[in-house]
Amino acid sequence: MIEKIKLEDLKKENILAFGEIYQGKLHPSSLEILTPLKEIAEKLDKSLILVCLADSLESIHDLESLKKSLADEVWFIFHSKLRDFKDDLYARVFIEIIKSTNPYGVFFPATLIGVSIAPRIAGVLNLGLCAHVNALEIENNQIIMARPTYGENIIAKLTSKTIPVMATISIGAFSPKTSEKTPVFKEVIFPENFSWESALKVRSFRSSKKKPSRLSTAKVVVAGGRGLKNKENFQKLFELAEILKAEVGATRPVCYEGWVEEERMIGVSGVTVKPKVYIGFGISGALQHTAGMENSEFIIGINTDKEAPLIKMANLAFITDAPKFLDLIIKRLKNLLKS
Amino acid sequence: MEKIIVCIKGVPKPGTVKVDPETHTLKRESMELILNPNDRPALEMAIRLKEKYRAEITIISMGPPNIIPLLKQAYALGIDQMILLSDRAFAGADTLATSYVLARAIEKLSPFSIVLMGLKSIDGETAQVPSETAGLLGLPSLINIKELKKEDDKWIAIRENEYGEEEIEVESSLLASVSPQAFDYLRPPSLKRLIEVKEKEPLIWTASDIQAEPEKLGLKGSPTQVVDVFEKKLEMKGTILEGEPQELVEKFIEVLKEKEIIKI
Amino acid sequence: MLIYPLTDSQKLLLDLIKQIGEEYIKPYALEWDEKEIYDEKPIKALAHADLFGIIIPEEYGGLGWGSFEMCLAVEYLSYYCAGVSTTYAASFLGCYPILLFGNKEQKAKYLPFIATGEKLCAFALTEPQAGSDAFAIKTTAKKEGDYYILNGMKQWITNGGIADIYIVIAMTDPAKGARGASAFIVEKDDPGFSIGKKEKKLGLRASVTTELFFDDCKIPRDRLLAKEGMGFIVALKTLDYARCGAGAQALGIAQAAMEVALKHATSRVQFGQPIYNFQAVSHTFAEMAMKIEASRALVYNVAKYIDSGAKDFSGASSMAKCLATDTAMWVTERAIQMMGGYGYMRDYPVQKYFRDAKCLQIYEGTNEIQKNVIARELLKYYK
Repeated sequence: MIEKIKLEDLKKENILAFGEIYQGKLHPSSLEILTPLKEIAEKLDKSLILVCLADSLESIHDLESLKKSLADEVWFIFHSKLRDFKDDLYARVFIEIIKSTNPYGVFFPATLIGVSIAPRIAGVLNLGLCAHVNALEIENNQIIMARPTYGENIIAKLTSKTIPVMATISIGAFSPKTSEKTPVFKEVIFPENFSWESALKVRSFRSSKKKPSRLSTAKVVVAGGRGLKNKENFQKLFELAEILKAEVGATRPVCYEGWVEEERMIGVSGVTVKPKVYIGFGISGALQHTAGMENSEFIIGINTDKEAPLIKMANLAFITDAPKFLDLIIKRLKNLLKS
Repeated sequence: MEKIIVCIKGVPKPGTVKVDPETHTLKRESMELILNPNDRPALEMAIRLKEKYRAEITIISMGPPNIIPLLKQAYALGIDQMILLSDRAFAGADTLATSYVLARAIEKLSPFSIVLMGLKSIDGETAQVPSETAGLLGLPSLINIKELKKEDDKWIAIRENEYGEEEIEVESSLLASVSPQAFDYLRPPSLKRLIEVKEKEPLIWTASDIQAEPEKLGLKGSPTQVVDVFEKKLEMKGTILEGEPQELVEKFIEVLKEKEIIKI
Repeated sequence: MLIYPLTDSQKLLLDLIKQIGEEYIKPYALEWDEKEIYDEKPIKALAHADLFGIIIPEEYGGLGWGSFEMCLAVEYLSYYCAGVSTTYAASFLGCYPILLFGNKEQKAKYLPFIATGEKLCAFALTEPQAGSDAFAIKTTAKKEGDYYILNGMKQWITNGGIADIYIVIAMTDPAKGARGASAFIVEKDDPGFSIGKKEKKLGLRASVTTELFFDDCKIPRDRLLAKEGMGFIVALKTLDYARCGAGAQALGIAQAAMEVALKHATSRVQFGQPIYNFQAVSHTFAEMAMKIEASRALVYNVAKYIDSGAKDFSGASSMAKCLATDTAMWVTERAIQMMGGYGYMRDYPVQKYFRDAKCLQIYEGTNEIQKNVIARELLKYYK
């Protein structure tokens, strides 16, 4: 049994984060984003509140992870109409909460659901929304958000002129942390006249046919960029990956060229990887990409350009022709494993 | 006859972007503009709906006049009307100010059946404009749809998320962003239409044509601001080995063994 | 190295072909060749781009252009993949009989679908015992009331199985020999018509080649093109028109081969310098360039000659086909040699160009037959 509280009685002017619950499961990125947000909240002397929408408490599988989360409070909104994700309804629920509690900041993980509702809310309330942020800090009591910008090794720091400050936070940019202190769970009671209707009706759901990408959890990643010159060379990475029991990743330009499907893209708006060993073939290391792999434990770079950012950040760099090197490694490994 | 609106964007061609090392702004003169690749699935969806349901397609795009060739490319794919939203006041817009302009233009084009957009642009990659525009218009929105069809008077969409696919029913007009993977074939432009469009020009709407409030436009209307840009300084962290591929292979294999990735 | 002046529309055509080549063909060509796959996507793209209508009159939904534009399209498509351009060009080969000899009803019935690329065409003349000796065909077409009944088989027909419209040359009166054949329009679903196995080829592997079988294939008599007895005239006239297309294919292949080999030669360092510095190599490229430009000049001049309304151009089109295709074979063989070991490896495209080029010296009339035609025509001009 959790404490029931009326919407208008909720704590005001705090930091809110979206706890994404889909079919009873909490998306891990909702816990990840609490890590930087907790620091922000503490510096601003505010509470960190995780807001979860679902049809009932019983339907939620991960109450344990919620109990160990960094949030000070978890606000639940339950209603049968919230069982399915409906953009317009979820946005309206959040808008009600924002209007009632006047938060200082509202943050979402950059999942497809997060990216569906955050902008909708920002549009309705005329608020600024920063996208795919991967760093947050406080300067002069203001929230400064950072993200790599289009182009070279440039990071842009952004602020928002409007309150609440809103942003979507890159998946995998932060690691989740646990807290000794259990958050206070509250069930929010909405006013009678709030409409739970939606223009959308979910008729059916079919679980993903494709296997979820194992790239983000891979222990060894072999990645390729334009330095591999063509699709045929790139495809050889799959051979290497099989031998090393690794997953294949790619930079954005080669996905754009059609050398491999976009699901394999490592970077700001793709997958973030944190493998034990990352091996980049023919990758220069534009910020778009490195933001997605810089936390790898051991980085190996292969490139003909000594000044390439990936080479500079690598633990071990081979300045040589990437396609030929890849070929030779595969042959050598096949020989070694035969004998 | 249904009216379908598609919002498209001109983006720099990957690889042609140069950043001025001093001002950290994009060197726009050296950039080649292309139609945002993720907008093509949205256009393809619109055209297939046009073929199936006898619809009329209008495209709108916010940008300077040098994106007119891109509007013409879209015309050649099979759309009917081109509208360019161009005004000095629009410059410097963030996603909110952009969505505001699009929303006003879409309102001016009412009544319509649906608005389609690409999932995200390949330059900003925020994926925010579709939902923001929908929020401003009070329209239901669906992000990342793969399929759209009509059943009686309702739209039925298949939306894909990280968990799987949902089949969703919408009774009214709708704004949707189309998944880049929605189609495994995207049509090229038609030669006849390429020739035809040489004699055509898009309608150009300015801020006053769409009754836009000045304080909501451009930099003024953009709550998100860049306060600083800096280069990520990279210092050499590790060891560099140079040589011909065959000279370096052994060292590579050695490291793989050290890290226990291979066991020989 | 020569730039040919093109109209704005022709430039638009070229840009569109290049766009299609880059997006729908280039990333997949080697894979299609390696796996001998026919992919319908580039063909769909060509259809959507209105490119199957280049030579179809506007009143039937086409662009109403001529051989010059057809050659432009075919040359540049071949640059990306001759297998794809074969599917494309062979469809024109199959539609020429209707264009040249169809009556109003036949044109109105078929040409609109051909112009939109909805229906592909195939041209069926060759049989196991009748290749160069086309007069030796044995497939028969017997008139029975309001129908013709076809019996026999055709061999090595491009677009077999993927085409909807087949122009079939069959004997209506074997006793009359060369004047005893007739041309018919056979549709894919006609009763008694079936497609044989897909052939395994040396090159042009992205294109489909099959046998065709006629087992009491029953077709309505309005499928007869022109008149009974005109079969070989239909065939030969069709080949006259289509020949510069084969020449254009050869140009695309040769150009691609030369460019790939040239890029290699200028970057491959041996004995301390790029191999292009050695005259044996650079002179070879000089010869390649000369031969390609000469072939190109001939092919497009013949195309223009045909478009100007010429009636008697068999000799000219044979010359264009023979010269350009022989050039392509020579250039691609030299291109492999200039690339050395790299030219021999299937990871590189030059060996594909070589294998693709070979077929061009054989189909649409072997180059030996072309020389027969040229020799015969010579006598008309210089007695």
